[in-house]
Amino acid sequence: MASSAAEPDKDKSKVHKLSLKGSAKLVAEFFQYSIHTILFQRGVYPAEDFTAVKKYGLNMLVSSDDQVRAYIKKIMSQLDRWMVGGKISKLVIVITNKDTGEHVERWQFDVQIFKTSKSKSSKSSASKSPPTDQENASSPASAVAPEKTEAEIQSEIAAIFRQITASVTFLPQLAGDCTFNVLVYADADSEVPVEWGDSDAKEIVNGERVQLRGFSTANHRVDTLVSYRLAE
Amino acid sequence: MATASVSTPLRSHAGIFSTRTAGGRMPLTPSPRQRSIPVNLNSSPFTPDKSSHDSQRASSKSVYGGNLTAHLHRSSSKTHHRDSPKSNIARGVSTPRKALELGVSDFTLTGTGVYTKTPSSAKPKKGSLKQKSAKTTINYAADRFIPNRGASSAIAHVGSGKLDFQEKQRPKPGSSEASTLLASATDDAIAALESLSIEDEESTSYSRPSPNTVAYQDSLANACGVSLNTRILQFKPAPPESSKPIDLRQQYNRPLKPVAATAAQFRRRVATAPERVLDAPGLIDDYYLNLLDWSSNNQVAIGLERNVYVWSADEGSVSCLLEASADTYVSSVKWSGDGAYVGVGLGTGEVQIWDVAEGVKIRSMFGHDTRVGVMGWNKHLLSTGARSGLVYNHDVRIAEHKVAELVSHTSEVCGLEWRSDGAQLATGGNDNLVSIWDARSLAVPKFTKTNHKAAVKALAWCPWNTNLLATGGGSYDRHIHFWNTTSGARVNSIDTGSQVTSLRWSPHYREIVSSSGFPDNSLSIWSYPTLVRNVEIPAHESRVLHSCLSPDGQMLATAAADESLKFWKIFEKKAGAGASAGGVGASGKAELSKQMTIR
Repeated sequence: MASSAAEPDKDKSKVHKLSLKGSAKLVAEFFQYSIHTILFQRGVYPAEDFTAVKKYGLNMLVSSDDQVRAYIKKIMSQLDRWMVGGKISKLVIVITNKDTGEHVERWQFDVQIFKTSKSKSSKSSASKSPPTDQENASSPASAVAPEKTEAEIQSEIAAIFRQITASVTFLPQLAGDCTFNVLVYADADSEVPVEWGDSDAKEIVNGERVQLRGFSTANHRVDTLVSYRLAE
Repeated sequence: MATASVSTPLRSHAGIFSTRTAGGRMPLTPSPRQRSIPVNLNSSPFTPDKSSHDSQRASSKSVYGGNLTAHLHRSSSKTHHRDSPKSNIARGVSTPRKALELGVSDFTLTGTGVYTKTPSSAKPKKGSLKQKSAKTTINYAADRFIPNRGASSAIAHVGSGKLDFQEKQRPKPGSSEASTLLASATDDAIAALESLSIEDEESTSYSRPSPNTVAYQDSLANACGVSLNTRILQFKPAPPESSKPIDLRQQYNRPLKPVAATAAQFRRRVATAPERVLDAPGLIDDYYLNLLDWSSNNQVAIGLERNVYVWSADEGSVSCLLEASADTYVSSVKWSGDGAYVGVGLGTGEVQIWDVAEGVKIRSMFGHDTRVGVMGWNKHLLSTGARSGLVYNHDVRIAEHKVAELVSHTSEVCGLEWRSDGAQLATGGNDNLVSIWDARSLAVPKFTKTNHKAAVKALAWCPWNTNLLATGGGSYDRHIHFWNTTSGARVNSIDTGSQVTSLRWSPHYREIVSSSGFPDNSLSIWSYPTLVRNVEIPAHESRVLHSCLSPDGQMLATAAADESLKFWKIFEKKAGAGASAGGVGASGKAELSKQMTIR
């Protein structure tokens, strides 16, 4: 990985790699399965509604309920667009108690885009003219895009899902009926369809936080974090 | 110059105090001083190195610490993540701060010396640059003291995070100015500064987030109301409702593959091949008739056009019981509870009762003027349902046999079943109704169920729960509904995917078998109450019309439009359980408990 990092950019593009678009697709797909997995693992919908599909070398449980599928599909269609445009810095799934309206669990996926031109520190890209900035950009700190095979990425993703699955062992039992919301941290200049509206962060008050694994592609890095309300 | 430099620190002190006290007023006085100070820096490079080193370091740290404390303040204003690493950092910083204070005091003594020092080490410069950028005018005079100020007055100043942000963005221009003033050595210093400041930026805005930075960012954004150039968007439509409440504990215990799990839990070996196949030539392919029945004496009666045949399962012999007159056909057959008599319904509406052992007709009962498609015995009562939709109860012992007329259906009655205790009667008709009657008051049905969307022929009372009735609908409906016949509530439903032509409960297993017409022509065994389909047997080549259970409850006979009669050992008892379990036959007769055989 270190050696590949040293390679100049041109060489990298020659090697067969995921393009930014492909990488965005992959990340979006990861989000989709994450949503399904979390809905299943946290019991937002009954287990009978889920069917197993092979993905990432795992048995991924995907809702077979038409309404839920349609709902997630709607989210994903917009998410795909944002991902490809590099507009997203976070995806958050908040689980809320239906009775109390309290946010009880919050799954956060942080997205980092390596491409400096599209990086979220868009201020710096906007003020690109000063030479100092460019120097920063080419400095080793930025865009250390480790070259990975598809298989390696898949196994990283599989590791995340294993962790999510395993997290039920430490997450507190969700009491009562729960529902979920999907939040997105998008750049201020992104296009927002009508179904999406501004929201607060829906943070867990006095929440406990656990950082889970992450994965990276040539263009993205995704980190996973779950926060939850401690059982009183 | 030296004098000037000496004087400056003092003033700067004053400046600091005044800033603390008067805040806004300060800028005026210090700003001119600023310029003078840099000059001093240039001019006095020679003065004390060593003492200044320490103080500088201290100062540089302190500057940093100042920032951190500022952060800290912001985060702490947010309250919640108390354990976040930030606080650790802050703690770490605090010690330097103390050092700084010491340094300050030293500093005041040494005076400008420190300043002169700057060119030699990058750090002090950074400190100064930062300072400049941050507080603009006021502090220049106090450059040296900045650390101190940062640490102590951070509280006063930092109130809003925005200042800090600006602060960060500004350093570059500021630094460039500075660099012009400073010697070439400053380039290095700038580089160092930049790297430092970059780190700062990254730590506050992006880069690899540790949970704490994430927490910190969130809280920061919240506290300041500053969105980091992002907006939080929520997908507004409400997510679909969960179909039922969920107990996660149950879910966690669930084996990974639900289908396999249920199958494994409930699966028992079901023989999927017929035990025996007989020809049933001339069997009328009519869903609305009921032409097959198995007696408690282990005899099977089947109506084939105008004839009724009786096949003895014990001996394997077949005899023709009767042949109807040429102008009609047999539309239903039903054994009496004791297995001695068989009721025969005819297309003309006539109902005959035959003594099978003697092979003679005992009586004929008239009343219906349309074909009698279904019959049911309750001791001496014979209920007959006709195409007209009427159901008559006949007391077969008396001359005036018709004792009740049950009016509910408006179209042909094709399903009729007495509960085993005779307290309730269920009827189903081509008008898609299920009527449940109380035997004591037959004027109106106790319940009339309209859930089916097609004719209801399949009716079955649960042997272990007398309140439970299963009903199956025709080809447009395809559902099996389960009813609590005391409350009238529908308790369960299955969509079978094909016409339900008959339903039979297993007396031994918590299962029910349904026979299907188009498109499956199969037998399905369902677990109850899980409603899991344990097995589906492709039974016949065309639709299964009738089914009946052997008196021991292990064997199912099916007659289909392909003119065959098949026997299926679908409820076979385990070897160990076989001997003791008994008395479960349809009639409940004790003798029947012994193993039934068919030859």
